[in-house]
Formats: sequence, C-alpha cells, structure tokens
Amino acid sequence: MSLPPASAAATPPASRRAGRRRRILVRITATGRHTTLLALAVLFLAPLLWTAWASVRGPRAAGGAEGVGLDNYRRLAEYGAGLPQYTANSLVVSLLTVAGTLTAATLGGYAAARFRFPGRDLLFLVTLGILMVPYPTLLVPLYVLLGRLGLENSHLGLALVLTMFQLPFALFMMRNAFDGVPRDLDEAALIDGCGPVRTLVRVLIPVVVPAMVTVGLFAFLASWNEFIAPLMLLSDDSLLTLPTALAAMRSSSHGAIDFGALQAGVIVSAVPCTALFLLLQRHYVRGFTSGALKG
Amino acid sequence: MNERGSRRPWRRAAAALAALLATLLVTAATGCGAAPEPADGRPTGHTLTMWTRAATEAQTRRFIDAYNALGRNSVELRVIPNDTYQQQIATAAGGDNLPDILGSDVVYVQKFIEQGLLADITGRIDALDFADALVPAHLEVATAAGARHAVPHALDLSVLFYNRVLYERAGLDPDRPPRSLTEMAEHAARIQRLGGEVSGAYLAGQCQGCLLFTLWPSVWAGGGEVLSPDGTSAHLDAPEMAGVFAAYRGMAEAGVLAEGSRRESGATWITAFQTGNIGVAPMSSTFLGRIEEGERLRIGVAPIPGADGGASTFVGGDVVGITSTSRHPEAAWDFISWTLGEEAQLSVLAANSDVPARTDLADAPRVRANERLRTMSELVPLGRTPRAVEFGATFNDPQGPWLTLAHNAVFGPDLAAALAANDPLVDASLAR
Amino acid sequence: MPPTASPALFPAPPETARSRPSPRPGAGRRAREARTGIVLSLPLAAVVAVLFVVPVGLAGWMSLHDWPLLGAPAFSGGRNYALAVQDRLFVEAVVFTLKYTAVTTVVLLTLSLGLALLVQRPGRGVGLARTAFFQPAVVGLAVASLLWYVIFSDEAGPLGPLLAALGIGDGTVDWFGTPGAALWSTVLMITWRFAGFYMLVLLTGLQAIPDDVYEAARVDGAGWWRTLRHVTLPLLRPTLALALTLCVTGSLLAFEQFVLLTSGGPDNSTVTVVMTVYRQAFTLLDVGVAAAMSVLVALVLVVGNVVQLSILRERGDRR
Repeated sequence: MSLPPASAAATPPASRRAGRRRRILVRITATGRHTTLLALAVLFLAPLLWTAWASVRGPRAAGGAEGVGLDNYRRLAEYGAGLPQYTANSLVVSLLTVAGTLTAATLGGYAAARFRFPGRDLLFLVTLGILMVPYPTLLVPLYVLLGRLGLENSHLGLALVLTMFQLPFALFMMRNAFDGVPRDLDEAALIDGCGPVRTLVRVLIPVVVPAMVTVGLFAFLASWNEFIAPLMLLSDDSLLTLPTALAAMRSSSHGAIDFGALQAGVIVSAVPCTALFLLLQRHYVRGFTSGALKG
Repeated sequence: MNERGSRRPWRRAAAALAALLATLLVTAATGCGAAPEPADGRPTGHTLTMWTRAATEAQTRRFIDAYNALGRNSVELRVIPNDTYQQQIATAAGGDNLPDILGSDVVYVQKFIEQGLLADITGRIDALDFADALVPAHLEVATAAGARHAVPHALDLSVLFYNRVLYERAGLDPDRPPRSLTEMAEHAARIQRLGGEVSGAYLAGQCQGCLLFTLWPSVWAGGGEVLSPDGTSAHLDAPEMAGVFAAYRGMAEAGVLAEGSRRESGATWITAFQTGNIGVAPMSSTFLGRIEEGERLRIGVAPIPGADGGASTFVGGDVVGITSTSRHPEAAWDFISWTLGEEAQLSVLAANSDVPARTDLADAPRVRANERLRTMSELVPLGRTPRAVEFGATFNDPQGPWLTLAHNAVFGPDLAAALAANDPLVDASLAR
Repeated sequence: MPPTASPALFPAPPETARSRPSPRPGAGRRAREARTGIVLSLPLAAVVAVLFVVPVGLAGWMSLHDWPLLGAPAFSGGRNYALAVQDRLFVEAVVFTLKYTAVTTVVLLTLSLGLALLVQRPGRGVGLARTAFFQPAVVGLAVASLLWYVIFSDEAGPLGPLLAALGIGDGTVDWFGTPGAALWSTVLMITWRFAGFYMLVLLTGLQAIPDDVYEAARVDGAGWWRTLRHVTLPLLRPTLALALTLCVTGSLLAFEQFVLLTSGGPDNSTVTVVMTVYRQAFTLLDVGVAAAMSVLVALVLVVGNVVQLSILRERGDRR
C-alpha cells in the first residue's frame, strides 16, 4: 500500500550514470534520507495511531480496570440516536451526493464535450464559478431556499447542496475524460443507429469509468467529512452525520466530556475514508494529475 | 430509430421537470390557510411539533411520552444540538419552518419575543388556577411590554457544591457550608493546605455561561443588580459586581483556585469535582445526578452566598411557548398547560429529582421526601433570571464581550483595567 | 478550509471550445444536436441554477435589506455594509484571519515543499512515506480538529506527560492560554492535516519538470541548493502559485479548526471572518449584515482569484 508516483513518466534513478565515489555519497545521503523519511512518517501517523490506541486503553475503555476494552465504543454506540443511525446518515448523504454528482457531471460532461448548444460555455463557466464564492455566502440563502422547497432538514436537500459544491471539479474531470475519447468511437455508434443516451451508456461510459471513480471518490470523501453544511442544514439530532454528531456529543456532555468516546468517534469516522483511500489511491492521485492542476 | 432515440430522453426529462414544478407549486400552496380550531372544548387529534435543545431532552421526552399516552393530541419532538439551537431557530424562522411548540433556553426568550417568534399567551396563562405559582423569575423574563409569551418548563439552578470529605479532613464543619464569599475563600484556603492534589476551590474560568451562572447570584445575594431593568445596560463595574470578581480574584491570587480553573471551558467542569480533589465550587443543580459519590467525595449542597452574606441562585433552564406561526395554538396550549398541572409536575419532574416549575409544589410530599430536591425547591423563590434582549450575543456567546471581561477580571493582570476596557463593549452589545 | 477544499484544485476553465462542429452540418441536425445537449445538461443546469445562482442572487438581495426572521424585509441600501465595516469583531477578525493565513501559508508550503522534494524520486520506502504524509488529509477537518482537541487536552492528552518525560514542563501545557499559543497550536494541527495534501500538489509539479533539466544543471556543476533556487523553484512556479492560491483561499475561510479548538479564544484573539459571519447570522440573528459581510468576503476572494489566475495565465503564455 503505497502512494504511486504522481506522474506516469517515472524518472530514471539519478545514480545510474554516476561514478563509484558518487555512489558511496549517494548511499550515505540515502541512509540519511531514509531516517528522515521514517521519522517524519512516524510523526505524521502518530496522532491517529495514538488516538486508535487510546480509544481502547485505560479504565474508561476496559470497564474500570487498566487494560484494553471496547467500552468507549459501546458508549459512543449508545450516544443520542445511536452510532448506527449516525453512520447510516453519513452513508446516505455521501451515496446520494456521489450519485447526484456522477449523474449531473457525466451527462453534463458528455454534453459539453460532444454537443454544441446555446449556453454551453456559460453553463461551464458558471459551474466553475462555484469555486470562487465562499460557502458561507451561500449557506444562509440556501437554508431559506431549501425551506421553501420543502427540503430543509433532509438528507436529500443536504446531498443536493454537497453535489453542487462537487460539480466544478466533477464537470471538469468528466469533460476532460470525454474529450480524451476518440470521436470515431461514438460516431460509429451513432451511425449504427444508437441514440445519444445509448451511445453514452454502451460505448462511452465503459471508457470513462476511471474518471467516474475519481469523481465519485472525491465526492464521497468530501461529503463524508463535511461539517458546516450539515451543521447548518440539518436541525434534527437524529439526522446528523458523523462529524456533526461528534461535535454535538462533545458539547452535550457539558461538564464531563467523554474523551474516550470522542476518540472512538474519531476512529470510526476516519477508518472508512482511510480504507477507501488506500484501496483507490491511484484514482485519487489521478484527480491531481488529470491536467486540471496545471493551471 | 435515430429520430426517436434522440427525442425520447427529451420528453422524459420534460415530464420530470413538469412533475417537479407541480410538486413545488403544491408545496408552496399548502403553506397558507390555517385549519380552524374548535372554539370550545378540548382540541384533539392534532399532530404537534415541538423543538427542544439536547440539554433538556430527558425531561421534555418524559412529558411528551406521558401526554401522548393520553390520546388527545400527538406531540412529535425534535431534539436540536445545544450548540446550534439558536441558529436552527433563526434559520427555521427565516424559512417559515418553526414548530408549533418551542422550548427555549430562558435567557434567549426575550430575543425570540423581539423577533416575533412566540405568540402572546397572556390570557391563557392568566386563566390557569395556579398562574401565580409559576416560577416568577422565568415568567418575568418571558414577558415583554406586559404580554407573556412562555411558561417555565425545566429548571437549572446554580448552587454551591462542596466536598464533605475534604471539609472533615481540613477540620471544617461539613454541616456548615460557606455563608459568604469571604468564608468560601477561608474554607478554600484551609482545604488547600491539605496539599497534594487537593485544591481549595474551582471555577469554570473560560466558560461564559458558567461564569455568569455562578457569579451573578453572589451579586444578587448582596442586594446588587447586574443588569438595568430594561436589559439595555449592565452594572459590571459597579461595586457589587466588582466585589464578587475581587473575591474570586483573591482566591486565584492566593493559589486556592485549582490550576485548571483558568482554562476550564466547561468541558471538564464536573470531571474536576468528581475527582474528589476540589473543596468547594459553584456549579449546576443538574450535575447532582451525574456525579458519583465515594470514599473521597461526599457532596454537600448550599445556596450561593454574596460577598458578605445572603443567598441567591440563577434560575436557568428552559421555558416553552407557542410559535406565532403555529396552526394549532389551542392544541399546543393543551399540551403546555397539561405539563404544568400538578400530576405532570410531580410524576414527571419531581419523581425524577427535577425541580418543579411551580413554587406551590415545594411542600408536596413527593418533593419533601427528597432532601436535595427540597433544598433546591426552597431556593427557587430567592433566585433571579436576567432579562435582556441581547443576552445571548452579549453574555452567552464565546465571542461576546462578557467572557473577555469576566475571565480577565478574575485571572487577568488587573481587575480595574479589565472592567474599564470591556464594560463599554458589554453596554454597546446590550443596547444594539 | 472550504468544504470543497480538494475540488478547489481546478480553477481555470480551458480557453478553447472543445467540441468540433459535426462533420455534416445541416440545420436539422444542428438543432437536434443542440436539443440533445440541452437535455443532457439539464440536471447539471438545474442544480447549478437552483442551488448556486439563485442563492448568490439572494445573498446580494439580503445584504441590501433589513431582514427580520419573520415579516417583510425592508430595503436599507448600503446600511448593512456600513454596519459590517464598523463592526469591531469583524474588523479584528479580518486582521486575525490575514495573520493566520500568512503564518499558515508560509509554514505549510515550506514544509510541503520539503516533503515533496524528499519523496520526489522513487526509491525504497518512498511510496510508503508519501502515503504516511498524505494520510491525515483523508481525515475530515472537523474530525481532525476533534482528534487534536483531545491531544491538546489536559486530561486525556499525551503531550504534557510526554514533554514532562523529556524534562520540559510539569505535565500540563496550556496550548490555548495566550493568543500566540492558540494560533500556533492550531497551525500545528492544520500543518499535520494539510502538509501531505500540498505535498501531493507540489509533487505533480515537480514530476512535470523534465529530467534533462536537472542533468544539465549537474553538468554545469550546480550544487543542491543552486539547483533548487535556479532550476526547480522557477520551473515549479505555476504549481507553487496554484498551491498558494488554494492555501490562501482555504485559510481565509477557516472555520472548523477555530470553532472546535479555540472557540475564538482567548479574549476573542482567534476569531476568523467566517466565524463572525456565522455569529452575525445565527447568534445576533442579523441576516442582512451577515449577508453583507459574506458578500464582502466573496468580492475580495473573487478579485483575488481573478488576479491570481490572470497572473498564472500570463506566465503560462510567456513560457
């Protein structure tokens, strides 16, 4: 499990063409570099590892005795509407966001890459404009608006808002992906009598699946971790997502904050993202190297 | 084939869009037109919505469960995290989504009345047999321009907690808690001399709500006022308030306030006392049920004294009212008035060691049987609830000017300077 | 950092129109193509219009009105803007936010660049190290703040005892006791959370630099430092500028880290702009002034971004 090189064009090892003296020098610096890397890696991993360890250790975790136990997780599971409920809420919101983002961005990216229609460039520019406007500017009116649409305090409303925040990146990725597919491929299908939707589903989507995975992964991580939007848009305690439920747990246990349960909550929230990232990191890194980054 | 292939999705999308628009129109249309309420007789069969903050969820839920079992109306509760309660009310009001029944931290109710969120229920309250017995401090704060908008719902009193074990070890009489802040400082100093992990006293010094909740009663106990009657200015630099600050400041300088006091944000307020290492500390009555006693900790409870004597308490907690946008005010009042009845007060509140919201129930056998509950109930008439429209923004908000003032008044380099620098900001905030 | 921290990577719309005209343009076919394009982009257009364009307009509208929670708004002209710029907390928050942004950006980008240079070339353990550095970035900012909230706490945190074991302090450290301490403690958390992210951003730039450039520098006898100063950094400039934009924008909109770690304390010394907007709207229930504040923030950011992008583009053209 290691992060792949961000660029496909790997650089040849510098030492290959170097002389013997140089090789020794390189070996010395390499040892220094390895030590530095190791020390830094430990530093970066330590907070999370310590939290994981602390969440199962000590009297509050082990039923009063010193030792190891799952009591912190048990108390976390019983807090408020229950951990399963909050986890389910997070999942629902994240999956709705992923679905919404993929639908809008795939269709929109396809349209932007393959069809000429009035307002196309405007739509593209306005979508990218989402990045320019700070979210607090949007959240106050958004709440008023969702209320009028009957979507206040609902996972669907929240997911739509999160989808909107994802669209600039997603549309950019998907349009680039469709642009990268040779036109002959879908034109042949069109000539064979497939409509644009069937062409998309049968011919193009299989080709752009990697880009869709990247878009979906970004959307999932962002919505799973989002804090302010659910904080403002959800009012019912039993609808809260994990990060907001944890923050609420911290403040509601006023006077006797349950550090152990909080640490357990941090681990429960971090594990799915970490697992997903380790599993799909190649796709994640693609988000950085898709050309979108080069300014 | 080619033709139809490209048209079909267009038609489908158009149909979906039309359906969406229709839904929006219907949703918008149902927003108006209030259902008629029966003019006489008890309204039944309504579904009411109620919001409460997480802090008072337990009491509220017990009320609702008992009421719903009666089969008259059905109340649905939404519990809102404490941190975002005000914000959720604000956004709900902006979106026209308020519930029928609104529970509110009593200190915010003036703001909600000013914003027009709560209906005038003066007539309804006056019609109650026991109107005079409703906790006066709450009722007064729920009144604006002579009109009453809410009734007491759950009480949270500030009291002095002391550790009887440490009192005994320090050679103090555990049945004689401090009767003035001067005495409190003396007791704390005696206990501090026990050494080791033990500290004389504790204060939540970085928690705006805790500081006002625990310090203001000392001002009232000494006959002073904290706020002007209309709540648009404060007397924080007056001798009474300054005297209270000076008393705690003295304890801090003498080193008898536990080191954690300076940075206590409220998060570990109970935890500190729970260790059994704190001699005496003003805290919340609701903590009683949350602290475990043991060999190192036996709890004594006493009224909060003034600098030189007297006793008072901060009558905090929640009030409840009917929103001005409710379409079922009769049914909502049926629920609210039921919660105030003797049966509900005793079987829901007193039975769970919560202080009743009616002063006439302090003598009820169920209250008298519980010694601590009796002590609390007897404190209620002595207590006060501050009244100001801008209370939340000025005092109960970490970014308001009060926290800076109070923290520096006790822990800062200079008391007079802390008051002089921040008192104008408090007044400006209150007068907004 | 904004909720869209990662997607904010992609600021510049490409200039060229991507789709070529169809091979056999006929009026009917073009109309059909236009219709299909419109239908396909409807979901996207609907979300963008309803959830972005309308709220932006609404924010502007609100900022020009007295906006009571209930009842009709009344036009108030520029009064909300006047109140916003006179608000002491807002002005102090602007100053603090700028200071925080400067500190964070310098610390974060320096460290990230160092990390990126360290793991630039493939080698044994390099992939693992990259993953380790990047790992914190997949933990949500709010969750990361809560994680560090425990680490910084007296009661449960390991740092006080750890330092005491090294002979520093007495076991408790007041991480948020003074304005400076609160700022640097938060910067420490943010550095942990974001260093790997910016490392990855810079890494893409580093790896786009052709190897023969380094080779040429070596032939010229340039040492490590000179190569960095005269070869790497100039060629990395577009990526650095991008990372700078992201970091500055994210820091200017800081919210979670301060709400959850410092609550703006001590003595309101760590209140950020977004916190004052939030407070204005939801504690003071003054939506009009809050809208005015957020419009001001938006304007500053848009202007800043446009300037930044045009500089980026000019440079790109010159190359």
